[in-house]
Amino acid sequence: MGNKMKMEQQPASDATGESALGESRQVSRVALLGRDFRGVSFEMLCQQGDAVKAGDALMRDVRRPQIRFTAPVAGRVVKVERGARRRLLSLQIEVDTTRGSTSYTPPLTSDKASLRGFMLDSGAWTTLRTRPFGNIPDPDGEPAGIFVTAIDSDPQAPGPAPIIDIFSDEFRAGVDALAGISDAPLYVCHASGNAPEVSESAGLSCVPFAQGISSGLPGVHINALCPIGFAGGEVWHIGYQDVISLGHLMLGGRAWMERVITIGGDAVRRPRSLRVPPGAAISELLADELHDGAVRFLSGSVVRGLVASGGEAYLGSGHRQISALSETGSNASNKQQTSPGVMIPGDQLESLAPPGIYPVPMMRALQVGDVDRARDLGALELIEEDLALLSHACLSQCDYGQLLRNVLDQLEQVR
Amino acid sequence: MAVRDNIQSALSGYAGNSQGRIRRLLLWSLLPVSIAALTKVGYQYLLNLPLLPGLEADNLGSRIAAGLVLDLQHPGWFDMLAVGLAHMGPVLMVALLTGGVWERLIAEKRQKPFEPGFVLIALLFTLLLPGATPLSHVVLGMSFAILVGKGIFGGEGKTFLSPALLGIAFVQVSFPGASAQHPLWEGLAGYSGSEAIALYHRGGEAALAAADIDLWSAFIGSTPGAMGTTSVLAVMLGAALLLVTRIISWRLLLAQVLGVVVAATLFNLLGAEAGASDISASWHLLLGSFAFAAVYLACDPVASASTNPGRWIQGLIIGALVVLIRVVNPRHPDAVIPVLLLASILAPLIDHAVVAVNIRQRGRRGV
Repeated sequence: MGNKMKMEQQPASDATGESALGESRQVSRVALLGRDFRGVSFEMLCQQGDAVKAGDALMRDVRRPQIRFTAPVAGRVVKVERGARRRLLSLQIEVDTTRGSTSYTPPLTSDKASLRGFMLDSGAWTTLRTRPFGNIPDPDGEPAGIFVTAIDSDPQAPGPAPIIDIFSDEFRAGVDALAGISDAPLYVCHASGNAPEVSESAGLSCVPFAQGISSGLPGVHINALCPIGFAGGEVWHIGYQDVISLGHLMLGGRAWMERVITIGGDAVRRPRSLRVPPGAAISELLADELHDGAVRFLSGSVVRGLVASGGEAYLGSGHRQISALSETGSNASNKQQTSPGVMIPGDQLESLAPPGIYPVPMMRALQVGDVDRARDLGALELIEEDLALLSHACLSQCDYGQLLRNVLDQLEQVR
Repeated sequence: MAVRDNIQSALSGYAGNSQGRIRRLLLWSLLPVSIAALTKVGYQYLLNLPLLPGLEADNLGSRIAAGLVLDLQHPGWFDMLAVGLAHMGPVLMVALLTGGVWERLIAEKRQKPFEPGFVLIALLFTLLLPGATPLSHVVLGMSFAILVGKGIFGGEGKTFLSPALLGIAFVQVSFPGASAQHPLWEGLAGYSGSEAIALYHRGGEAALAAADIDLWSAFIGSTPGAMGTTSVLAVMLGAALLLVTRIISWRLLLAQVLGVVVAATLFNLLGAEAGASDISASWHLLLGSFAFAAVYLACDPVASASTNPGRWIQGLIIGALVVLIRVVNPRHPDAVIPVLLLASILAPLIDHAVVAVNIRQRGRRGV
């Protein structure tokens, strides 16, 4: 595992300049996915067929109208796809770079209100997530801490260090902006030995984490530095590439129109890194990259990725990998079934569990849907990705991420 | 295949578990124990054959054995194996048959798939029995193991006691006086395991030496006792496989050994008014069925504590209680089976306490 990470990162750190990021890939269609923004009721600010510039507001949250979702690229809104109960699946944009982009004026003063206003207007606010629950934070909320995730432990993920090196100015500007939006401590969590350069300031600290099987998860960092208890507090977290994008906004008024991802999985002929637009259409990206045969796409790693099919076959917000797995006979048994089978409570579950969580009691509470017990055992510290390893390892074929989400939904209602 | 492969390579094998794989590995790990059991049974039988006339017709196993062995004066390893098979074979067959019939009935009555786990239970149960066990006892014990130990809880993985443990406890309690002139009963007080410890109670180290029991023979397993439990060497080979493949918890196993060592050393140092407080830790580890039961019964993940601190606590309790009962209660010379029953029943309570501490900490340090 550790070796694999090193192998993956070696060529990137040896290479110089832009090549560390891989070749740039353009696609004809990108999308914003509804599932990336949990708990949001979208209000459309655009019509199907509208031409939009990059950075134009496309949607906003009905309940918190300051939260705006902006176009990642310029083009034309071609389709708003909805699923069951009219839930937004994706808002799809046909790319047309000639339409230019909207520029936002970075705030002159770095006070809390103007920084937050700038992030909300430019759409950068929607890349922040809360823990518990994994929502977009309230515009006037106060976190107990903000976590920048500058470490990635998923297999074959792009190494954060070379990317941050190349965009060090932007990264620093983004971190500075984040330090300004709250009085809470700001933690930049990085792989040990790869500390990114950030400006010295009060409340800002770089925290190294040893490379491990889930050391790249914000849940792990939060548990170590500012754990979620029962007092009702929350922390915010954001991924390093979204910080770089925020830095672009702060320095130039325009968001970063690329993301560095890796493509991998056994159906991909040549796994490597690519630079692609945020929300890029996956089938288009991988059109010439696959082995023959039926393929299943995941947005994210093979371990924690989300199934990307139909109207959701786009790179998810904050995702840094696209995996393509060949569909053979035995793959038909997917992890969707939630009726509890037999769980063998062996001790290897313990090494796959999030820190501070006892896996077997937690898994039992989730299986029977005991909301109070799950909360006591630390469900508020977790979101789906934290339990992905347990879902893979448990013989019962339960999707503990989904079970956890059911519990979190109920907890959110009573909160 | 692909998803599994991808994930497996990502998780370095953690996700490769399946119930079938666990069962296969447990059976493989019982192979050295079974071979040791066959050899030991044959050795014991052939050793005593000249001393006990009329033994050839004592029970079914002996009648088969009498037909198999050609040269009783100079028996070789194969003769031992054959004689062992003659004794262990019928017991295992009856255990398998009983288990299979009940499984089949349960599967049909409850309209569930047939669970092959009874094979493992039957083998474990057989290895815990003396070589000359009456077959009626095997039927009763195995029925109890499958029905009460497994069936009424809903099958594999849903029990809270190891079924084989329940089966052997049942015959121990039901037939406390069971033993005969047959040499394969030698060294067993009823079914309760080790007369060797009882010997120690009566005469200390000297009594063991008089019965030809030394540390080496206890380690390789040529001492009298239940079929599979005497060879600590074979049990260690099996345990090594299970530890490497992470089927059993090393914490629980180590904690049990530590519990025995600590408790025995304390008794040695402090002494006690009554009982055999001067049995050394090495004798505790080697004699009786402790080693076998610690690996194959106590470490059953379904029947043990399910948190890491809980595993340490449970293991220490098992080790300490085994020593305590062996030392102060001469009527339970082996003590392992009742202690494991108690520890399995305690496991949820231990977990409850561990989790309560965790919840309190979360409330204290969290935001």
